[in-house]
Amino acid sequence: MTDARRISSRRRPGLAPWLFISPWILGFFLFTLGPMVFSLIMSLHDWPVVGERKFIWFDNYTTMLTQDPRFWESLGITVKFALIFVPLNIALSFLLAVLLNVKVRGTALFRTAFYLPSIISGVALVMIWKWIYSKDYGLLNYGLSLLGVEGPNWLGDPHWSIIAIIIASLWGLGGTMLILLAGLQSIPKELYEAARVSGVPAWAQTVYITIPMLSPMLLFTFITSLISAFQQLTIALLLTKGGPLNSTYFFAMYIYDNAFKFHDMGYAAAMSWVMFLIILTLSLLVLKYSAAWVHYEGEAKGGGNG
Amino acid sequence: MVRTLTYGALIFLSALFIAPFLWTLLTAVKSEAELVAWPPVFWPENWRWENFAESWAKQPFGTYLWNSTTVVVLSTIGQVFSSSLVAFGFARFRFRGRDPLFILLLATMMIPWDVKMIPLYMEFNLFGWINTLKPLIIPAWFGEAFFIFLLRQYTMTIPMEIDEAARMDGANAWQLYWRIHLPLMVPGLVLVGTFHFMNAWNDYLGPLIFLNDQTKYTLPLGLGLFQGRHDVDNIAIAAITVILCVPPLVLFFFVQRYIMDNALGSSVKG
Amino acid sequence: MNTTRRALLSATLLAFALPGASFAEDQILRFATWNTDPESIAINQAIATKFEEANPGVKVQIELYGDGFDDKLTAAMGAGDAPDVMYMWNYPAYKDALMPMDDLIARDVAELDLDDIPAGLMNISKIDGATYAMPVGFTTQVVFYNKDMFTAAGVAEPAAGWTWADLRAAAAKFRNADTKTYGFAVDAKPDPFDFEQFFWSNGTKYISDDGKTLDGYMNSPEAAEVLDMFGDMIKTEEAVALNIGDDTPGSALFKAGQIAMFQSAMWSKTGIDESGINYGVAPLPAFGDKPVHSVIGASGISISKDTKNADLAWAFVKFFSTPEAVEMRTNDLPIRTSVADKLGLATDPIYKPFFDMLAVSNRETNAFLKNPNWGQIQANLALAIEATMVDQGNAKTHLDEAVAASARFLN
Repeated sequence: MTDARRISSRRRPGLAPWLFISPWILGFFLFTLGPMVFSLIMSLHDWPVVGERKFIWFDNYTTMLTQDPRFWESLGITVKFALIFVPLNIALSFLLAVLLNVKVRGTALFRTAFYLPSIISGVALVMIWKWIYSKDYGLLNYGLSLLGVEGPNWLGDPHWSIIAIIIASLWGLGGTMLILLAGLQSIPKELYEAARVSGVPAWAQTVYITIPMLSPMLLFTFITSLISAFQQLTIALLLTKGGPLNSTYFFAMYIYDNAFKFHDMGYAAAMSWVMFLIILTLSLLVLKYSAAWVHYEGEAKGGGNG
Repeated sequence: MVRTLTYGALIFLSALFIAPFLWTLLTAVKSEAELVAWPPVFWPENWRWENFAESWAKQPFGTYLWNSTTVVVLSTIGQVFSSSLVAFGFARFRFRGRDPLFILLLATMMIPWDVKMIPLYMEFNLFGWINTLKPLIIPAWFGEAFFIFLLRQYTMTIPMEIDEAARMDGANAWQLYWRIHLPLMVPGLVLVGTFHFMNAWNDYLGPLIFLNDQTKYTLPLGLGLFQGRHDVDNIAIAAITVILCVPPLVLFFFVQRYIMDNALGSSVKG
Repeated sequence: MNTTRRALLSATLLAFALPGASFAEDQILRFATWNTDPESIAINQAIATKFEEANPGVKVQIELYGDGFDDKLTAAMGAGDAPDVMYMWNYPAYKDALMPMDDLIARDVAELDLDDIPAGLMNISKIDGATYAMPVGFTTQVVFYNKDMFTAAGVAEPAAGWTWADLRAAAAKFRNADTKTYGFAVDAKPDPFDFEQFFWSNGTKYISDDGKTLDGYMNSPEAAEVLDMFGDMIKTEEAVALNIGDDTPGSALFKAGQIAMFQSAMWSKTGIDESGINYGVAPLPAFGDKPVHSVIGASGISISKDTKNADLAWAFVKFFSTPEAVEMRTNDLPIRTSVADKLGLATDPIYKPFFDMLAVSNRETNAFLKNPNWGQIQANLALAIEATMVDQGNAKTHLDEAVAASARFLN
């Protein structure tokens, strides 16, 4: 801590940082902590929506882990989805961001085009995908038929349905792309200049300049993709309703059904806490090992960058 | 050569991304019969522009528009301001408990909505906020984990030299934030504002749970009402969807250059 | 607080305290509905307006929950903020939040004229002897058929007492691959509540009457027969399958002339009327010579247990059951025999099959009234139905799986 560059620690921070983060702390107590504690309490009860509530200790948790096959099935589907979706999401967003970083005419239009899908929400988004995925009347199979390929029953075939959900989810990557693009654009051009002048090939530039400089943002997208993959609900709920034959019955959907269809709020709360702990563990792991590959310009480690 | 390839790729990918939206637009101007016709009708015979007016008239969308606008504008301002404030706090200070608190912040992103929903409802009910727009606006003024995280990462790409230079000139923490970092963070702020705008504009679950009567409804709720248990009004859904997409699109088209601001690159000396 | 303000405050408080004071705020009655189609919404509004006219100082706040009805109601009830009155059909799930009406009904029995309401309809909301709703409308299930298509194909129209064999024979004659027309439509994801009527008609049921046994009921030979029949109809292309990846509703296909027969209920009628199709209505077909039994879909109007406007709520419920209001509800069938007679419904060829079905459908009780965990059991059953439709057969295997998976809910 004697590094001369660490100016902000030279003067003891005092009250200042707390003042800055106070809005969030207040909000946390008001809108998050209360509901979290309440849901924890709910999870220890047999808590129907209306009616008598019984304290049952950890019964909900034990039932879930030992007697409920659907818990494991839905968890498995969610993990499968995450394994495919997260890397694809980041890779494709990165690719598009790189493409858009090249100076061509009309970038503004292209950017808008890629971001367009993220603007459409919920009900409407699903309507669109139903029309695209329809076996007989859909756009996708029509397009495939022009190439001479007979498209599968995207939403009706248990083998294809999860792919359909993945594609539909990826279509909304405009947001991730934008974040990475903003990150790309703030990499100082001088670095690339210096590299080019020194004869460094393009691929090396990407590996040694782009990725490290972009790594804080990449970390961000990694964690947030992970979280949203595990919480995937809306698209599946509206597009396939968990089918066909429960092939897209995500974990979040099972929680939702327990709360709103079976009216078993205690069980739903317990499942939510399990989901929460899983995501938390995964994210902490990612964060812990992020020091190995993430580079922060704004936290200089003893001389120079890089 | 690279340029042509890039161009080609961009055009092809754009077409893929736009196609579904185009499909919606085409559907919005079709007639009922053309919807279920076989072979499928892609290009409607007559472009029934009156579908838009008719669909708009089916529910009090004017009221919905007013409510949506109110919610979105007020909450976006709050979100941008508070999130940047908190992000600065996490990014630029070292204080006891910072890292555990940050983990806590991240953790709050992972809490599923269904679980918060009913306790939140009860809390808002206690405040008397149910069936008002308050639950949709006020929490945004306290920052949101996703945006705080984003802006913190963004802030951490700004070199410390800038802070040091400002401190040398005698700036205190607030001035550092307000005069130096905020302007530098403009791309990030625009991002946050845009994202939040989208979320608030399209939010369905929140309004569904917290609003009761039609005079308070927002646009997505109206859209959702076209999807019934037995019958789905596809044309109205398509038409209203197209209308709903216009403000965010226009907003995005105009602000995107701020996201692409390159000012930072020139302020750092190698 | 200065004197003027204090005076104003007292005056306002006083105004609230005096019932019916002319400068008091309107008394608000919250009424939750699930309708999404403009016609039904307009009808609700009209009835509410009439009620407001008869009760000055009262404002009925209609809350449109649409398809999110259960979500919204669950959230509101869970938080203790339920609306005063609401449409209701899922009594087992919500009964603990509803006000039993038996005392009120007994008190106002003359005004209600209960003889004018078929007993079966009053029973729809009875659980453990308590009544939780007044019926507001009902429908039974029928088969709509396209008269022009039948004439063009030279097929005899369905007649009372027809069987599934008759229906299948007729359906086979409509299949046309070029125009993608079919004779019938089979839903892979039907509402299990309605679907039970086919089990009943074939002499079985989902679950034993005491709600404790599934084996031998849900997976009985008769049950498998029903599912296999529908699966086979898909295989032989007598019927098009709905909801396997494509959720075009059967009503849309019928209105476009893509299917000749469509099994549905009153909620489809308005749309079909508007489409201009020349249609007829037939009762449900029978399984051989077993008696047909339709499901009765009755909606009721209930009062929240915690309402602060109990008297007003009951007044509204009573108003909704008056012949005047019943007649205004043209989107389903009237609960009062007097209104049905007045409108000549029992003899009208379009409406008669609905009433014929009502007359024979009083024996069975819906499964969800028999077991508190029915929601979870039903999820397994729905999977079995869907699996059979996708497999186009193999019902017994799937039903056995459903029974096995549901065992832990039978305690």
